[in-house]
Amino acid sequence: MTNPIILIARKESGELLLSGRGITWLLALSIVMSVLSLLLVSNTELSLLDNASVVYMVMGTVTALGSLLAVVLGTDAIAGERERGSLWPLLLAPVTPSQIVLGKMGGQTAGWIVMYLLSLPYVWAVGSSGQNLAQAVIYLALFATPVVLGFGFFCIGLSARVHHVRTALLTGLITLMLLASPLLLGPSLRQSGIGKLFDAVNPFSAALNTFDSVVIDSQTLAVQSSRLVVTLVWLVTTALFAMRSMRKIKI
Amino acid sequence: MFKIFVTVLFLLAAANPVLANDTLEISLQPDPANPPSPQMGDWLKFHSKIENHSSNDAHGVVAWISLIQVDPGKEQPVDLEDWSAHKAVTRSVLPVAQQVGVEWPMRLIQAGSYRVVISAVDRETAHVMTSPFIGFQVRQMPVVESGRILPVAFGVPSLLLILIIWRRYRHRGIFG
Repeated sequence: MTNPIILIARKESGELLLSGRGITWLLALSIVMSVLSLLLVSNTELSLLDNASVVYMVMGTVTALGSLLAVVLGTDAIAGERERGSLWPLLLAPVTPSQIVLGKMGGQTAGWIVMYLLSLPYVWAVGSSGQNLAQAVIYLALFATPVVLGFGFFCIGLSARVHHVRTALLTGLITLMLLASPLLLGPSLRQSGIGKLFDAVNPFSAALNTFDSVVIDSQTLAVQSSRLVVTLVWLVTTALFAMRSMRKIKI
Repeated sequence: MFKIFVTVLFLLAAANPVLANDTLEISLQPDPANPPSPQMGDWLKFHSKIENHSSNDAHGVVAWISLIQVDPGKEQPVDLEDWSAHKAVTRSVLPVAQQVGVEWPMRLIQAGSYRVVISAVDRETAHVMTSPFIGFQVRQMPVVESGRILPVAFGVPSLLLILIIWRRYRHRGIFG
């Protein structure tokens, strides 16, 4: 008999990758990436950016878009099932809440893998004539994955605790906007004490600072260890939050 | 004798670019803060002074900046469209012995060897008056190549769009 976790994960990833709605989301994300890429060559200001800076910018955008996709998928995972009336049958099935959450997490992971693969041609297109392209591809996987999946797990937890998709989605998006603010504010954030503290504990900042450090400054993994810890703590905390929330699920 | 006269005249003109019947004297200096070895994307600034050293007021003074690429095989005047938003200044009257200082900022868009020069005319003088030129070299910087971006930017969404259309028609049984 197939493991229920794999069954749920397969159903979740199938809905994303094989349904018309899922592919349309991926199309929308690819259009955002394309517009950004075209701006990079057509805009005078952007086209004069150093190649490494452009790769860093694309990596940050991929992380933000992946997180956005994770927020939408995570929110839909439980609250969406509840609104569609399919949560009861799922809970009555011979699976534990933990298995349901792990299956949903599997779907999230599949969504991010597709998103990551979709971003690679863009990273190659902007970075192949510059420095540290291989590092960009590896570190995008290494640091963006816990950040993106963390957002997804956090929203799975949220959607288990609140009644409506809208509430969960809004909370998820506000959290994403808060944590992803360094993408817009850049280094100016680190000029104040609060900004430095926020930067030190924010997983999104950790990923962005790593991309900067590796791609632009050519620094090694050893320099990134504390940042990797921040992103992994985020991943584990949100995963525990999702598991715990599923046990306290509101029908 | 004539050849010697012409040579002397040419040398004098070369040594002092201000011709005897020029009403305006134009100087041109690079900003001290300019990078010593500029590269694409850097900003340069030039300062010029346009002085009326004739015995009459100059009317309708127009001064403008020109940029010329001088790389072998690529000699050409450069369209300043992307390089500078500050391409010319005008003065309705420039009184005798008065001068006007002008700052010319410039963004370096392409690598190469360049000469920059300020030219000016007024209503009374029948020829263009120019400053001495300043040469500078712009270093290449690795930037994004549009040749790779375009296929990806149009190709990836197109593939997904084809996938969506194919799925839709497959469900309707058109592709079997």
